[in-house]
Amino acid sequence: MPQATILIVCLVLFSAAVIGILAARTGFTAGRGGKILAFVAMFCLPIFCGLLGFSSEMQRSKTTAFCLSCHTMEDYGKSLLVDDPTHLPASHYQNHRVPVDEACYSCHTQYAMFGGLKVKMYGLKHVFIYYLGTPPAPQDIKLYEPYNNRECLHCHLGARSFEEGAVHNADPATLPAIKANQLSCLSSGCHDTAHDLAHLKGAKLWEKGN
Amino acid sequence: MLSTNQSEKCMRFAGICLAVGLLIEALCLMWATPIAFIVFVAIGGLLIFTGLVVYLYSVVSTPAVGD
Repeated sequence: MPQATILIVCLVLFSAAVIGILAARTGFTAGRGGKILAFVAMFCLPIFCGLLGFSSEMQRSKTTAFCLSCHTMEDYGKSLLVDDPTHLPASHYQNHRVPVDEACYSCHTQYAMFGGLKVKMYGLKHVFIYYLGTPPAPQDIKLYEPYNNRECLHCHLGARSFEEGAVHNADPATLPAIKANQLSCLSSGCHDTAHDLAHLKGAKLWEKGN
Repeated sequence: MLSTNQSEKCMRFAGICLAVGLLIEALCLMWATPIAFIVFVAIGGLLIFTGLVVYLYSVVSTPAVGD
């Protein structure tokens, strides 16, 4: 467990203990000092702890381990280890083009206003389906909407390899079309191998990645 | 206005809600799974919110000294 989480847990437990004592001995709160203590313990601390805990949970929900903790996502986790440089998620993960600890979130969030919130709502829907519905087979999982180039350009825009890439500049219309999301990075026959679960069984995996 | 006895009861109820909510929060923080997030928000959050509201109600409903 990260140290920050341990500290938050300690603070939360301390707050719960103080509140427990105040609830058991309400006589403490009769005086002026007791009232101030009660206000701090029963109003300020729970809000502070709640916000800290929520922030910690939100941060944790972005981690690769969190996404892969669902059985349905196991194959997607494996696909990050495929030993093939043309396999887009694998090459990003293995070469640290995305933070390894937040690999899923880095590519599957939406870099737009409220994009993070929107994908969190999708995440809640996934949890609901996982526990209370019928989760689809891993290979049947589809994106809610076509993958937007905006997510790729969040990192690649301005990068020399992207701006001066031979294929990107072979036709002067290509680069503006990519930037305007008219020509998809993923589905235009260029970088189109993403989480190829159909061929995962026979694929060679990068052993050191484990 | 609540009587002192009622106010104490409210305070005790608020304290129990807050303490239980915070304990649930602490448990969820130690348990890194998606269901922990749901429990944290749905149960822990609800209990903390209820505790805060009841506590504030008990504060504003208690007669001030001299009333």
